[in-house]
Order: sequence, then C-alpha cells, then structure tokens
Amino acid sequence: MPTMTLIQAINAALDEEMKRDERVMLLGEDVGKRGGVFLATEGLQQKYGPDRVMDTPLSEAAIIGAAVGLAAHGMRPVAEIQFADYVFPGIDQLFSQAAKLRYRSGGQFSAPMVVRMPTGGGVKGGHHHSQSPEAHFAHTAGLKVIVVSTPYDAKGLLKAAIRNDDPVVFMEPKRLYRAVKEEVPADDFLLPIGKAAVRREGRDITLVSYGGPMVETLKAAEEMVAAGLDPEVIDLRTVMPWDKETVLASVAKTGRLLMISEAPRTASIASEVTATVSEELFDQLLAPPLRVSGFDTPYPLAQDKLYMPTVTRILAAAKRLLDY
Amino acid sequence: MIQEKVRFQPFSSEPIRLIDEQGRWIAPFEHGLPPDRLQRFYRDMLAARLLDEKLVILIRTGKTSFIAPHAGHEAAQVGIAHALRKGHDWLFPYYRDMGLVLALGVPLVEIFGQTLGNAADPAKGRQMPSHPGSKALNVFTVCSAIASHIPPATGAALSMKLRRTGQVAVCTFGDGATSEGDWHAGINFAAVQQAPAVFVCENNRYAISVNISKQTASENIAIKAQAYGMPGYYVDGLDVLASYFVMQEAIERARAGQGPSLVELVVHRFGAHSSADDDSRYRSREELAAERQQDPLLRYQRFLEQQGLWDARWANELRLEISKALEAALQEALQAGEPDPLEMFDDVYAARPWHLEEQRRLVAEELQS
Repeated sequence: MPTMTLIQAINAALDEEMKRDERVMLLGEDVGKRGGVFLATEGLQQKYGPDRVMDTPLSEAAIIGAAVGLAAHGMRPVAEIQFADYVFPGIDQLFSQAAKLRYRSGGQFSAPMVVRMPTGGGVKGGHHHSQSPEAHFAHTAGLKVIVVSTPYDAKGLLKAAIRNDDPVVFMEPKRLYRAVKEEVPADDFLLPIGKAAVRREGRDITLVSYGGPMVETLKAAEEMVAAGLDPEVIDLRTVMPWDKETVLASVAKTGRLLMISEAPRTASIASEVTATVSEELFDQLLAPPLRVSGFDTPYPLAQDKLYMPTVTRILAAAKRLLDY
Repeated sequence: MIQEKVRFQPFSSEPIRLIDEQGRWIAPFEHGLPPDRLQRFYRDMLAARLLDEKLVILIRTGKTSFIAPHAGHEAAQVGIAHALRKGHDWLFPYYRDMGLVLALGVPLVEIFGQTLGNAADPAKGRQMPSHPGSKALNVFTVCSAIASHIPPATGAALSMKLRRTGQVAVCTFGDGATSEGDWHAGINFAAVQQAPAVFVCENNRYAISVNISKQTASENIAIKAQAYGMPGYYVDGLDVLASYFVMQEAIERARAGQGPSLVELVVHRFGAHSSADDDSRYRSREELAAERQQDPLLRYQRFLEQQGLWDARWANELRLEISKALEAALQEALQAGEPDPLEMFDDVYAARPWHLEEQRRLVAEELQS
C-alpha cells in the first residue's frame, strides 16, 4: 500500500474520479499548468486536457457559479477556491444558488458539485490565509461540509463527495497538507459522509475535534494516557451533518465532553455539538461540556500560535472536566 | 453549421428596429415568415398581456402575495421565446419573465400554481410568486438574488460546449442586474471560454425606482459587451420581430461555436416594480402615459393590419379564447389545495439527514396534536 501526504491523497482522489467518470471536471484559479498553488491538481491538466482541468478568471463567483450551472446541466464539477478566506465573493453563488437550487425548484434541478478549499491557520498566514469559516457553510441549509484531517480520509471522503448528489464544501487544513504520510489504498474506496471516526477508545473523557486541531487533540490524548487516564478521541470528519450518534454514544459512556476546534468560538460547530450534548445527555453528564476553540477576533499574524488550540490549553480544559 | 448571413451589426448607435411606430416593415431584408407564424407572435403577446392583467386581479383580490408585472415587456419576451429551441435550449430567466415562460410553453396551471404557492406549483410552493421554473422545458428556476443566475448560465453553457450538445443557454435579466459583480463574473467567463450563451437585458430603465442614469454611465447596456470581447446588440424591445430576429442570430451564432453575445432589448415597464411598489413616488404619470402610447402590442397590430393579418373580430375572438384558457387554468390551480406542510423538509438534500428527520418529526407531532 503506498504512503501519501494529504495533498497527494487529494490528487489521487481527483485523478481516479476523473478517470472513472467523464463528467468529473476541475475548475479554479491556477489549477491547470501550475497544478494549484498547493499542487492538489498537479499533473492533471496534462493528463485530462484544459477543458476538464480548467484555469478560470480570478473570480470565485465565476468559479462557484459556473460549477452550479455545470452541475445542473449534468457535469460533476470540482471547484477549487485557492484559500477558504477568499470564498466570500462566491458566497452568493454558494448560498443563494448551489445550496438552494434543489429546494427552490421543488427537486426539479440540483447542483451535485464539490467546492474544495484549503482552510485553517498555523502557517503564519495572517487573517486572510488562516480562517476556518466552516460554521458559515454549516449554517446554510442545503450544503454538506467536510473537514478532513488524514490522507486516508481525504481520499475516501473526496471521492464520496464527488459522487454525492448534493453540493459539498470540502475543507482541507493547509497545515496538514504535508505534515504526515500514511498508508492509503491505491484502489477505489469511499468513506461515508456524515460518519465520525473514533481515533481512540477510552472511558474517562470524550475529546471531539476535526481538521487541523486533531493533531493537538491526539497529542493531548497521548499525554493523558501517559498520566494514567483513558480518553476517547473522535474525529468528526463531516461537520454538516455531524455524527450525533457517535458523539452521544461516547459521552454517554464517559460523562465528559471536551470539544476542540480552531474556528472562532461563538456560533461555531463546537457550540452546536456541546449544546446538543447538554440537551440530550444532561442527566448523564459528570461535568458541563467545555470548548477549546479559536477566539472571536480576526485571525492574528503575530499571535498565530497563541490563537490555535494548544496541547496545554486542551489539557487544562480536560483537567477542569475531570476535577469537576 | 456556419450561418448563411449576418443581418445585424453590433454596437449600433440607434436601437435595431424592423417595424416602425406606424407598423411599417423598415428592414433591408424580407422577414420570410408565413402568416400563421406572424399571427402566433401576436397571439403570444396578447396572452402575455392578458396573463399580466390576470395576475393584477389576483393580487387585488388577495389571492396571491406578490407579482412583478411584465406589461410592456411582451414583444421582447415573445421574441426571445420564439428564437429558442423549446425544450432543447436552456433558459435562465429572472422574476419579470412570466410572459416569456408562458410563450415558451410552461403550462398555465403551473404558472398559476406558482403564483398561488400551492400544490399546483411544480416547486411545491417554495418561493414567492414570479419565480417559475420547469425541468421539462429547461427553464432554470428563478432565484430572487439579482444576477446570481448569470454565472450558472455560463456554467450550463460550458457543459453544452464540452459535451457538444448543440444547445444554447439564454439568460435574461433587468438593467439593474448589470451593476452586480456576479453579472461581470459570469459574462467575462463565458466570453473567455466562448461558451454558447446569450445574455439578454430587458432594459426598462428602472431598477425599482432607480433610473438607468444612476445605474451606469455607459451610453447603453449593449456597449458593455465590447469590453468583454463579444458582440452587443442594441435593440428596440418594443418591436417583436426585431427582438426575435436579433435573438435568433445571437442564438444560432452561439450554437455554431462562435461564442456568446449580449443583447439589450429596450422596453417599457407599464406597471410598478412589483405589487409592493408605488411607482408614482418616483416617475411622473405623464412619462408613463407617453410610454403607454408606445404599446408593443399596438405597434405589431398595425404591422399585421397592413399585411391583412389582423382585424378586430379575429383579435376579439383570440382575446376571448385566451381569457377562457386563463380562467380555466386558474380554477384548476385553485383546486390544487395547499402543499403538504411536511414537504418543508424535502429537497434540502437528496435524502433527509438525521437533523432534518428530527425537525420534521417535531412538526409532524405538532400538526397531529
């Protein structure tokens, strides 16, 4: 089985899906000869030609909007937004067109498309190369939202997203693009959208995270294990619709929930998960669910490391839960 | 397929016009259309006008919540509809296109169902009135967000080009839409890719209350095409045959692989912006009265009369026949009843995820109690 980085897994998923289905095409800024600024589409234009790997004008509205029309007419477009921070000129296309097309037409038309974007901080990118805007998408009915954290998941979920009949926002933590390599099957496999992965089973506390901070969450879990504790770790993978069943089953067992995310705290995925657990498991909780998150500031440059959920901060919050 | 002849020059200083105010054919070519076809244009314009009048009655009698009157746009809309290959080409309309979708063949019962927001609406009563759509006729369901349908029209046209389907995407919008960023984004991309699309501005010179002079400093809308590298046609949209022939040339040009065009059809808006608007606050009744003298139906009536294809008796019979069909369709639509309230949770996704199942169950229990 080959080992791959996250970016290589994405490239492999795109390649396989384009080979499998002629309707699959890629469009975005610099996706052609350049292979994307992070090289997600490297080599694909040479292989499939400029019509199926299409360099677009520098216009997110054109990229996402054209993907809507391509999809409605029968193609399976995968649009690349160069950074999640730059999706906003395309938001009317994503929210007013893609998300609502099936609903507003009474099911007559739909937009089966994927919008890929590098997301998150930790790369000294300042506030316009570091944001985690997944809550905006999750708050818009009609979109599915995936945030991956491993090469294996990236391949299996991107392939599933391309074959899905709904518009999917596929978010790739840029700081993980080349951070790790793992074994990823070279053949065809799909992972279910909406299903979390239990990364470690345990009895004392449930740590839930997704995307970039999975790294710090797993490190914190290791330190807890070294200290004689037994944490359970869940990677949501899909944040809309998120896997309530898996999270509730875990917290019902441990009685303690710590939700870790680098997105701003207020009105976040972390807020949604902790609120739901409080509503549904109130009488089984041993402590109030807590959040370790990014802050409600624009993403800072100088305080890049301070903004992100750190292992120390995760352990401190876990201690509060365990000592409650 | 290469076109045999090019009849129209882009970027004219005066609007392209084939029939003058007196109804005289003033074009340098023969129209070549048989009498029944010429009469069909009139019939469709009259149906569009009578539909508009019917919709005004529905709003005045409280049967619907909103309309965007299209009276004054009939020649433009019927011209567009006749130039499309129905059910083959795609139409991306905007909210003032009820006359256009009717002429294209969207059934009246569906039009009234959409207006009533009831079970006769193929879109299940999901949107405000004046937002039609039809999968069967490739009419991309209207979205309220101005100009948001222009990049999708470009995308559909790209798909048509990549898959060589021989189709064309026709996208209509008002003059206000031309100020939106998405208008630029969509048109620019279509031109770069030489996508088979025709972008059509139904320019009535008002975006609700804002006059075109506050919308753009360009001398007209068509000229904007020059900057995008496509032809722009400046057309008298009160002239149904000018609208038709220019649209036909632009559509067949796109179909032949020669790229997109921008067509500006200059029209009048005889009504207010919508049933929620009072246009006397911003335009004089004198201006409106003068525009009403230039009724597109009247001009075409004069043309037909001169061809011996119009008389009062025929027109009255036609009016009666259309009125009956309108009333019958309205009654049928009124019978359809309310949509199932639980349909609120359908079509958000291809299949309902758990959170929508939960929310649906909540409403179902509430409805049962």
